[in-house]
Amino acid sequence: MIVEAGHFALALALGLSLIQFIVPLWGARANDPVLMSVGPVTGLAVFVCIAFSFLALTVAYVTSDFSVVNVVENSHSAKPLIYKISGVWGNHEGSMLLWVLILALFGSVVALAKDSIPMRLQANTLAVQAAITIAFLLFILLTSNPFTRLIPAAAEGQDLNPLLQDPGLAIHPPLLYIGYVGFSISFAFACAALIDGRIDAVWARIVRPWTLGAWAFLTLGIAMGSYWAYYELGWGGWWFWDPVENASLMPWLAGTALLHSTVVMEKRDALKVWTILLAILTFSLSLLGTFLVRSGVLTSVHSFAVDPERGTFILGILILFIGGSLALFAWRAPMLKQGGLFAPVSREGALVVNNLFLATACATVLIGTLYPLALEVVTGEKISVGEPFFNLTFIPLILPLLLLLPFGQTLAWKRGNFLGTAQRLYAVFGISLLATIAMFAFEYGGPVAAPLGIGLGVYLILGSLNEIVTRSWAKGTPLSVAWRKAANLPRSTWGTVIAHAGVGLTVIGIAATAWGVEGLATVKLGERIKAGDYEARLERVVPRTEANYREDAAVFTIYRQGHELGTLESMKRLYVTRGMPTTEAGIMTVGLGQVYVSLGEVQNDGSVGVRIYYKPLVLLIWIGSVVMALGGGISLTDRRLRIGAPVRAKIPAAAAVPAE
Amino acid sequence: MVIWIILLLMTAAAVMAVLWPLSRHRGFTAQQLDPDTQFYREQIAEIERDRERGALLDSEAEAAKAEAGRRLLRATGMTAADAFVALGEPALRRRRAASTLALSMIPIIALALYGAYGSPHFMARPPERQAQQQGGNFDLMTAVSQIEAHLAQNPQDGRGWEVVAPVYFRMGRVDDAVKAYETAVRYLGPSTERLSNYGETMVLAKDGLVSAEAQAVFEQAVKLDGQAFKARYYLAVAAEQDGKADKAKQAYAELLASSPEGAPWAGAVKQRLASLGVEQPVAGQGDAPQIGAEDIARMVSGLAERLESQGGSPEEWARLIRSYTVLGQRDKAVATAARARQVLAQDNAGLKTIDAMTRELKLTDAAP
Amino acid sequence: MTRKQRRLTLIGFAGGVLALALGLVLYAMNDTIVFFNSPADIQAKNVQPGTRLRLGGLVKEGTVQRGADQQIRFEVMDAQATMQVHYKGLLPDLFREGQGIVAEGVLESATVFRADSVLAKHDENYMPREVADTLKKQGHWMGEANAAPKTQ
Repeated sequence: MIVEAGHFALALALGLSLIQFIVPLWGARANDPVLMSVGPVTGLAVFVCIAFSFLALTVAYVTSDFSVVNVVENSHSAKPLIYKISGVWGNHEGSMLLWVLILALFGSVVALAKDSIPMRLQANTLAVQAAITIAFLLFILLTSNPFTRLIPAAAEGQDLNPLLQDPGLAIHPPLLYIGYVGFSISFAFACAALIDGRIDAVWARIVRPWTLGAWAFLTLGIAMGSYWAYYELGWGGWWFWDPVENASLMPWLAGTALLHSTVVMEKRDALKVWTILLAILTFSLSLLGTFLVRSGVLTSVHSFAVDPERGTFILGILILFIGGSLALFAWRAPMLKQGGLFAPVSREGALVVNNLFLATACATVLIGTLYPLALEVVTGEKISVGEPFFNLTFIPLILPLLLLLPFGQTLAWKRGNFLGTAQRLYAVFGISLLATIAMFAFEYGGPVAAPLGIGLGVYLILGSLNEIVTRSWAKGTPLSVAWRKAANLPRSTWGTVIAHAGVGLTVIGIAATAWGVEGLATVKLGERIKAGDYEARLERVVPRTEANYREDAAVFTIYRQGHELGTLESMKRLYVTRGMPTTEAGIMTVGLGQVYVSLGEVQNDGSVGVRIYYKPLVLLIWIGSVVMALGGGISLTDRRLRIGAPVRAKIPAAAAVPAE
Repeated sequence: MVIWIILLLMTAAAVMAVLWPLSRHRGFTAQQLDPDTQFYREQIAEIERDRERGALLDSEAEAAKAEAGRRLLRATGMTAADAFVALGEPALRRRRAASTLALSMIPIIALALYGAYGSPHFMARPPERQAQQQGGNFDLMTAVSQIEAHLAQNPQDGRGWEVVAPVYFRMGRVDDAVKAYETAVRYLGPSTERLSNYGETMVLAKDGLVSAEAQAVFEQAVKLDGQAFKARYYLAVAAEQDGKADKAKQAYAELLASSPEGAPWAGAVKQRLASLGVEQPVAGQGDAPQIGAEDIARMVSGLAERLESQGGSPEEWARLIRSYTVLGQRDKAVATAARARQVLAQDNAGLKTIDAMTRELKLTDAAP
Repeated sequence: MTRKQRRLTLIGFAGGVLALALGLVLYAMNDTIVFFNSPADIQAKNVQPGTRLRLGGLVKEGTVQRGADQQIRFEVMDAQATMQVHYKGLLPDLFREGQGIVAEGVLESATVFRADSVLAKHDENYMPREVADTLKKQGHWMGEANAAPKTQ
């Protein structure tokens, strides 16, 4: 019964969304506050309906109601409860339902924030939100309905794809979707501003927290996905430049650019048109990501052509929203007023450079992702664009950005002084250079990239911390005063510093992968396998049976230079319902590095193929990402209203505090 | 019926959610009506506070305040132009139109879409059955894992492997079933039945293909017991698959001749022979009346009619499904399986029988 | 600086970055892109030994030989041709005889391919795109229903 009610609630949400689309838009045109006030209430009602619908599906999963096709295909009565719940979004239909649920959730938060958003802006924004909701609800109801029944009901389900039966993947999609869908709010605000023909610092002030929140979640989602791929796929890699990964990286790059350009807009009322365009592009890339992942076009261009219903529908959504918003942009953008002026060498200028590099890097990823598809459609020639392509294009574009980052952060608003800024970074340069040289000396003869990368990371971390130091401490300031001053700095400043330091940590983690070592061998019980200083000895192989899988767990003792560090278990699992084998890598964390052991097949004579890696500082890749998201979160708690004031060049460097 | 009342109530609530804001005149705060100037006023106040705390230098504070002031002036000029209009005849008309829209659109869309895609007649299965079924599955799972644990300790217990093999097979773990039989044969030694089952599982694991290994197993079974019907049958199938039609015909014919009266496999064998183009002997061969293909078809259709009109036991349904398969009418078999499930929806054991049959016959496209 | 000069500076800079990016993309496109071929393609196109490519097809039944130290040899086939593949390393979970795979590496001679990575079907919804297409084209594709392991 609840399943049917949930299904009906979804249809009801569609009807409500139509009202939410038409009435507030009309109200905003007619300047009628009563009509506009329909927007927030319907927005909440839509959320309630979709949430109920989602709950209904969850109930069907938890009670293993095998009269629902979706449950049969993705669940099993013997599956642990957590995977019954995460199975709800571990499949196409359910994940689309989660997608609209988050969309409606964001819509309802906009609806509730009635005092901080001008009424017309709110009404138009909710209408645009509703348009997106309508499109995706139709998509779900017509092509991907999770409530389709199976008559007669099945006796048992087919189980969730074992790769997805993992705590990492239980939380990865929600995080990623909050990020993706969060950008829909920036998009809706941008379209609303275009419809209204007005955009100013107030707009930027309202939009910034949304962008920041979405960005922080997307950062966490990507990091989570990368860590999952690292430990679950058993190849030891953490980023594969896979189209699915690129689909989430592109909105992240565009979103990062958007985040920085809204800062300029909020503080200096400049870069308006560009910010609006970025907001549109960021969400368009989110939609593109959804399209790439959900249409099956990645598996095969032809499978898309053979089973075109879903793919065509979502392609239609893509064209409608990207085309529609860009048309609106082309029509309205020339009417927007130009904003504040700034010199090329200034904080604003630096942020423009940031945007330029991020947008270009994003474009290269887009080309690398779509080119093979386009080529196949046009010529039928099949190619793969992999890591070498992205290493050659993406990295050279990101490196200058990272090198300029501490500069930009130190420059003053409106007009800056390049030499003065460089002066303030002398110490940072010096220490980073020393760190690089020390690394070279320490690892003499090792890979060149690692010390350079670590130097860059140190430079980024110190460069961003430098901002706190120069703004709270000068020669002669007592430490207690400096401390108080530092604590009094706006939270957004701290957020910026922490997020940028996070970038530095991630860069160090990535650079250190060049020092990684690995070993590959077939070992028997009691034999050892070596990677650099680390050794693993195969102690025993234990067979186990769990509710929905069986596994052979190989227990290894890990040694570093002959000293025992402990044991780890590496598993080869067979999920019986699907008959699908998976590899569970055994991982031991040593400091910030990890020893990683993955199993091959067990041979007839009892020996096992084993691959062992030692990856120094690898955890920094994800710790850095979490720190970035944390910085975003801290910045989000800053409720202050800011304005960027210029610094006069005459002020002595020590006292020059860029105002916020 | 209950479901429709619930759906109706939900629709009413949704429509009310829209009508409610349309029906009231509420005050709108200054913040909502004129948020821009408010924003800049607060910004100026903020700058002042920062200056007092010493976070801003005087000169910077002045510059920032000047900028905010400029924006404030601009914003004040703009808001005057678009005052809200909530009163008067046109506003009333607009509200009525919006109410009508909500009253018509929401129920129509929701009911139309749900009507097209929903299954309102579909009530949830009684919870007891569900629980019972889950319990049953769970018991099976625990039993299997207990046996597995036991076998992990005593891998040389051939009996255990022999017991678990058909269970694996029924659970769909066909490859495991093959391994289990293989182990059982290794430890208990070959016997006709064991070898035949082993070979049969191998064949089913390969979707009906009699592989060379399976053939060797069957040959060993026949060596032990020349009568081994199952093994001989599969050997004949193997010959047929190898393209040795003559050998296959001969083997089938011998099998049929030596089979006891009314043997369950006789139908399948005859079907095979027919497909190889062998006419069934019309007369002779003892005085048992020979059943022709037409007679079989007539009997099958009689059974189908009876089951449809009067119902029948799960075994009878299963027999009908098998008969259709044997006659080569897989689509009918699939339809019958679906029908049987529907009829036997309340009969747990019956459903299992049907499931087992469809699995055995590889009617997987029917089995959800 | 006037507004116009500022704008020109910005446009000039942006143009520079874009030109750089374009250059990188074009260069990378020439150098790093790997073409996908089936064994029949390699024969038909007469691909030169030493070329880097992706080879896709089915692992031929009964050809997998494991040597010492994780050295593995097997044959990859399509409807028309087969190709000997040499590989050292752990095979992916779903590597089986009769299964579709993609190997990336270098063509050693007209019939021998040295792979440095081997990808197998990831799960039943994922088949390396190229393999699926090739197999479909050659009529080897069995569809998802059969490819998925037996259920229930």
